Amino acid sequence: MARPRKVFFRRRKVCKFCADKIDYIDYKDVKLLQQFIPERSKILPRRISGTCARHQRFLQQAIKRARHLAMIPFTTD
Amino acid sequence: MRTYELIFVVDPRVSDEEVVTMTNEYKQMIAHGGSEITSEENWGRRKLAYPIEKLTEGKYVLLNIQSEGGKTSLPEVEHRMRQNDKILRYLTVRTDEDLKRAARRKWSAKPDGGVNVTEPAGDEDLDTGEEI
Repeated sequence: MARPRKVFFRRRKVCKFCADKIDYIDYKDVKLLQQFIPERSKILPRRISGTCARHQRFLQQAIKRARHLAMIPFTTD
Repeated sequence: MRTYELIFVVDPRVSDEEVVTMTNEYKQMIAHGGSEITSEENWGRRKLAYPIEKLTEGKYVLLNIQSEGGKTSLPEVEHRMRQNDKILRYLTVRTDEDLKRAARRKWSAKPDGGVNVTEPAGDEDLDTGEEI
């Protein structure tokens, strides 16, 4: 995103799951979850990803399950 | 009716045949408890995202379970898995409620075909230009 110079132009963030109509976030879908874990493997916050509260909650649960099963790292180092 | 997903990770040094016999043992236990195995997936060897007990790989097995009544033998199965040190990780998840909820939503979203508005319109000026 370009730094806005006081202009009303910022790309409006839309919840990916609402847009794609995904309502069951599967913890086995590593590819999907990976989009929400940046390099440090933290869970991408809502304010950055634009995910709605409801879906962020499901996403969080799914990521934590996947971490437990070692499909996703807890941390990268 | 309830559905569950049981997934477990086996030590990669265990042979494939042994994984199958282990899986059968658990399947038998589940069947004894009055539940039914609807499908089974063997993912085989997979790289772990982080080492567990100094191992970098694991063999994944997934069981989809369906049960009618309230009682299942899943607690016993979990107990046995905990004691089996060839099993690195296991996870049981009840899926029927979540899937049903998801299905219901899809129905209600379909007729109008419109995109769900997730953000109230007045939200625009709230998100300050935060970037990583």
